[in-house]
Amino acid sequence: MEPLIEVNCAAMECTSLSSGAPIWHDILAQAMTGEVLAAMNYASLSEICDDPAEVADALEHAEGERGHAAAFAAEGRKIGVDVTNNVEAKHWKRLREAFMGCIEQRDFIGCLIVQEIMLESFAVASYSRVGKVAPGSLGETFARIAAEEEDHVEHAMSILRAERARDAQRFDDKVYRLHLDVMTTLAKMLAKECKDGHCEVCHASCVKPSLFEVSLSAAELRGASLQQYLKTLDMLGIPGEVTLAWVTQLPV
Amino acid sequence: MGDSAASLARRVPPIDPDFALIGHQESWSAAADVLTVLRGPEHTPLPDDEIKDILPWIPPRVVCHVEVGSITGAKVRGIYIDSFIPPDRLEAPYVHENITRVRAAASCAIKAGAKIVSLGGFSSILIEGNFNLLPERQDTVFTTGNSLTVALIVQGIKEMCAREGRNLRKSTLLIVGATGDVGSGCARCLGPIVRRVLLNARNVERLRRLGAELRAEGVEVEIATDLQQFSAEADVVICAASLASPKLRLGRISPDALVCDAGYPKNLSPIAGMPGATVFFGGLGQVTGGMRFTPDFRGVLNRHPFPDVVHGCLLEGMALALEGRFEPFSQGRGCITRERVEEIETIASRHGIHLAPFYNADGPVEDETSMLAGIAEGSVFRVIEKRPWAQMR
Repeated sequence: MEPLIEVNCAAMECTSLSSGAPIWHDILAQAMTGEVLAAMNYASLSEICDDPAEVADALEHAEGERGHAAAFAAEGRKIGVDVTNNVEAKHWKRLREAFMGCIEQRDFIGCLIVQEIMLESFAVASYSRVGKVAPGSLGETFARIAAEEEDHVEHAMSILRAERARDAQRFDDKVYRLHLDVMTTLAKMLAKECKDGHCEVCHASCVKPSLFEVSLSAAELRGASLQQYLKTLDMLGIPGEVTLAWVTQLPV
Repeated sequence: MGDSAASLARRVPPIDPDFALIGHQESWSAAADVLTVLRGPEHTPLPDDEIKDILPWIPPRVVCHVEVGSITGAKVRGIYIDSFIPPDRLEAPYVHENITRVRAAASCAIKAGAKIVSLGGFSSILIEGNFNLLPERQDTVFTTGNSLTVALIVQGIKEMCAREGRNLRKSTLLIVGATGDVGSGCARCLGPIVRRVLLNARNVERLRRLGAELRAEGVEVEIATDLQQFSAEADVVICAASLASPKLRLGRISPDALVCDAGYPKNLSPIAGMPGATVFFGGLGQVTGGMRFTPDFRGVLNRHPFPDVVHGCLLEGMALALEGRFEPFSQGRGCITRERVEEIETIASRHGIHLAPFYNADGPVEDETSMLAGIAEGSVFRVIEKRPWAQMR
């Protein structure tokens, strides 16, 4: 499937295909899909912003995410693989629909919760783990993008904290409603095994059982992502005992 | 418990807690029970392998609210914070990781505004000699809770001896883990009232220092790092070693010995063969003024065969909160004195916190009268006959 958003990256010299290339290929495809989806989400967000500064901000974020997608594509070229994205893959599509639900309601705060609190927690944690084990520039790229995504989260946190200060219960209920939709989907994606069939992003069979070959595991990526999510919710001030129950109720 | 987590937030408004309890689960089955309550009855319990994969990633946090009543009518409110130290990562290689977890749990308590914090189980062992490792705190004080643990162990030994017609003054007392905070506190309290004390620990220098201290008070003391050297001679044994799992075997124990396992996790190996010995779990107290968990973790966070039983280390914070004494009552290592033990015992007793009914791995170790009283009070656990340790699972 063709990427829905054009990814521009400079042609780079391919390195020889290492034994882990098929695994990195699938990891890059998941990451690139996430970045393209994030770019689409920010582009959509810009359409419901009233404040020109917020519009500019959302468009800048969209551009940044496109840059991340391009960087992942470039890393693929270096190891001799053509990384494509598939935002129509079932789980990613569901995540996009959840975001678009907020857009339809012109729910700016809901959009930030989905993108910055939920999807970015997943991105920051998983990219950080990949960044630690991936060789050379591949690892550096994942680590750099993880750091940049973390900056995004910081930016959104101040807006969300201010919103929660206005009505904590209402805010927490909104987070919970979105959690049930978005985090349930993410939990299925992060499960140790894909129980609902092929994810439609991996190129052949599911990459999860092979992750140990590159010093990763599906359990580790899930654990790190849920930990990052809980810590982000802590920073928002949502009671830890409440968010703990939310997370333990997710599917495995 | 079946309510959604969102409505839970509504039902439990934020409080300014009088106390906080920092703990961890001593076994994977205990951890599984906690997660099962959190998931609620509408979700199937997590499989064991998933629990082992997920729990280590959970950051320390408040798990539930706890309300404790005194027999004076006073009530205090608190929070239970789990450090989520994985039960199989209590060993030395994980010490730095675990200190980080306890620090994070302490930060939760400070952020919540708890006036006093009790450190349970390994949280206490990790921090007792390193209070400087705790995060900067303003109006929050920390106590290891070890003084009340010692008080309850000592009470338990005395009560059991009286019940079994043993003369404690003619007894030879063996303390395993004698140089720890709890072990040395027990030695100071019981040393002067037994015939002879045998101290066992790994660190010979600490053993020598404690032995010299007790001898100076006229106590007959012997020390050894080799447990087998002592075990046949003792007729009363306190197991207070900092063991990551129940693996202690006392060896050639006297056939009629009285053994108090005061460890958390438990010290004694389930397959330790001690035919004829009377074993009970020590350092436990019972709140008689009422205790309520929200959500309802009764019997889950305190897995005992009697209601409202809690480890002494955690009870100390509750007792001090009921007394309105927000002070670091137990700090440091090896600083527990008879006077402090008597003081905390008096405070706890004033609020209806007493020695818990005896039990061991097989269930209650009670005389018939107490067993019937336990049933009348609504104990939901099976009451069984006293059985020797050899028959335990």
